[in-house]
Amino acid sequence: MANVLDLRRRIRSVKNTRQITKAMKMVSAAKLRRAQERAVSSRPYSAMLASVLESLKRRIDIYDPETGDAKHPLLRTREEKRVLIVVVSGDKGFAGAFNTNIIKTATQFLDKNGKKQIDIEPIGRKARDLFRRRYPAAKFAEQNQGEHAGSARPERQRGSGTEVIGDHPGLLEKLSFDAVREVGEDIVDRYAHEEIDAVYLVYNEFKSVIAQRVVVEKLLPIVEFGKHEIAEAREMTAEERAQAGEAALTAGISVQPGEAEADIAEFEDEAKKFGTADVDYIYEQPPREIFDAILPRYVTSQLYHAMLESVAAEHAARMTAMDAATNNATEMIDDLTLTMNRVRQAAITKEIIEIVSGAAAL
Amino acid sequence: MADTNKLTVRLVTPDRILVDQTADAVEVPSKSGYLEVLYGHAPLLAELGPGEVRLHGGEGGDQRFNVARGFVEVLPERVTILAESALKPEEIDTAEAQKDLDEGRKLWNEAGDDAEKYDEANAVIREAESQMESAQGHS
Repeated sequence: MANVLDLRRRIRSVKNTRQITKAMKMVSAAKLRRAQERAVSSRPYSAMLASVLESLKRRIDIYDPETGDAKHPLLRTREEKRVLIVVVSGDKGFAGAFNTNIIKTATQFLDKNGKKQIDIEPIGRKARDLFRRRYPAAKFAEQNQGEHAGSARPERQRGSGTEVIGDHPGLLEKLSFDAVREVGEDIVDRYAHEEIDAVYLVYNEFKSVIAQRVVVEKLLPIVEFGKHEIAEAREMTAEERAQAGEAALTAGISVQPGEAEADIAEFEDEAKKFGTADVDYIYEQPPREIFDAILPRYVTSQLYHAMLESVAAEHAARMTAMDAATNNATEMIDDLTLTMNRVRQAAITKEIIEIVSGAAAL
Repeated sequence: MADTNKLTVRLVTPDRILVDQTADAVEVPSKSGYLEVLYGHAPLLAELGPGEVRLHGGEGGDQRFNVARGFVEVLPERVTILAESALKPEEIDTAEAQKDLDEGRKLWNEAGDDAEKYDEANAVIREAESQMESAQGHS
């Protein structure tokens, strides 16, 4: 059996670890609170966009009367031959199963659609690193400065069925709408030019600490406004939910929507009525033009919202993981302390026995 | 509210609700030019161009916001402005705007015969110029 000194050293080391995990948990909790706020306050905007689109839709015919196809390229459904999936993961580890779950869901999706040509657009360092290792990067032909300089889009040279496209380092770390807009515009552009036939988004949806799930959401073509088109979802298990709830409780984060959120929710209800008032609007521009201008923005706002939720979910996952780690460390310290005391007592008893039996032998 | 002839004005961005208050009048930069909205305006829906939203007779005095990319809904007693970016004049980074302006001019020169790229370059230039103007109007 180990001696008292060794055990004492181990206890000290575990105590240090516990201090670190506890600090990490608190940091994550603080970050989570901020991320949650941001995610919630971005809701009215997307709700308003959706409702104004919905009301515009009724005023213009979005479908071509002859062919029955949608007039706007973003609403047109094509046969899914080339698919883009945007995988939103975290930048850092130490977040329990957060990254693993997202990557697992993405991989399952890839397996199921193995015959199609798939582009993966990873967002977040973890997904990028992994998919970069697994699949080759997309190659584009050099823009030749000859006759069609400037006008032609870079030509794609496809090597294999699945390729990784795009690189967005540090996008999640300092999430700004402007940066996401660039990503969104790029995706919309590719869809409109028929380089891809469908866009899916894999991310961790975040309603509250105890209501999260990993989802595969269809981003394009747009089927219905204001609705999330969920292709697949992986719910939290009861155990995960209990753990997350406990972690949130000890970190002082409410799992119920707070007062500020209630305000926002009220606003959101109002937002749903935005642009749908039962009156005849004067359109400054033709409705068609407004509709066409808003559609790409709607896609971007969805993308932005997904990223905000994913960031919040990442912090929540890290908080839960660090809470579990702290608890484990405490348990281990208790165990080791017990063992140490036992070993010490055994040594004392042994010494007494030696003295007593020594005395008796005299 | 005692004074019923006040407009409720809201300015919403993807990040937050920037303004939620009442005002006597609000100027909005629509894509085809500025329009001023008073209480009782006919319902209207318009796309925003880059420019300034100006609140008059609001709770905190007159206020200005530089906005870009969005649209506005006008109802007789309420104005809601949705913008992807909305900044107070003092928040504008002139160096950044100048950089955008140069970038836009470069795009414009490189656009060649591509109408799409011209539009894009023009949009960047207009946005940057409107930011510069707002910032200068402040100082």
